[in-house]
Amino acid sequence: MSDKKCISCGMPIRLENEAAGNTTDKPYCQHCSNADGTMKSYDSVLEGMTQFMIRSQGIDKAVAKSMAAEMMATLPAWTMHK
Amino acid sequence: MTRAAQKQHTRQRVIDAATHLFATQGLASTKTVDIAKHAGLSHGGVFVHFKSRDALLSEVVSSIGREITDRLHATLQDQAELPMVLRTHLNCLELHETAYAAFLRESRLLPKEVLSAWIGVQSAISNYLQAPARVAIERGLIHDMPMHLLFNTWIGLVHHYLMNRELFDPDGSVLLRHGDQLIAHFISLIAVDRKYSSRKANF
Repeated sequence: MSDKKCISCGMPIRLENEAAGNTTDKPYCQHCSNADGTMKSYDSVLEGMTQFMIRSQGIDKAVAKSMAAEMMATLPAWTMHK
Repeated sequence: MTRAAQKQHTRQRVIDAATHLFATQGLASTKTVDIAKHAGLSHGGVFVHFKSRDALLSEVVSSIGREITDRLHATLQDQAELPMVLRTHLNCLELHETAYAAFLRESRLLPKEVLSAWIGVQSAISNYLQAPARVAIERGLIHDMPMHLLFNTWIGLVHHYLMNRELFDPDGSVLLRHGDQLIAHFISLIAVDRKYSSRKANF
């Protein structure tokens, strides 16, 4: 199993349909990709991860946003935002 | 063994030693000097591989999280039904039961970065449960409910048993002893048709 992780959200990229543009060539996943194949902005990814945590665990929005920002700060695409 | 392979091997020894000591001594009581000794390294040897104790702790939490989500991912590739996904979840937790329980008990002591990673793993697990749950809802097998409540009900049950392991199985694995019962009970709570819960309780 591949150890490749999305540089933007940390999600494992193990299958082509999990990668941007359905190709594992790109270092980011489908969720962090715009329709044209480019990588989403920091704010867009942060909002997506926040909503994911709310949907999956019902976490308070401000807490979820803070935790999403903490997680993103450890990822290669967003280290400059810490 | 190449130099790179040797370095990787030593790094893994540090992770294994840390996992063992965090599990048996707890997070607060485990010092890096103890981890180094357990791994057969000098104290400074730990910091060749990890810049800080928090970085090592983060890696221990992340590696357990990766193992759980990788296994759940593989199970879903086989289009497993919800009870089997729950069984896979418990099988993964069983492998790291003492360390996982220590993280649960002392989660307030985790650095913010590590706690966020830990909560992120729980969101990923919830996501893996949602796919078979939605199928079961569409087929009328379980009640329609918000996905976060379905997950929180399941994880609340499991975490209660893990956090109080000494009450439910003081000498062994609480999940090995009670896992089937927890799955059967959870399924019976959410099932529309009693036949679904009784049929799926037998693995």
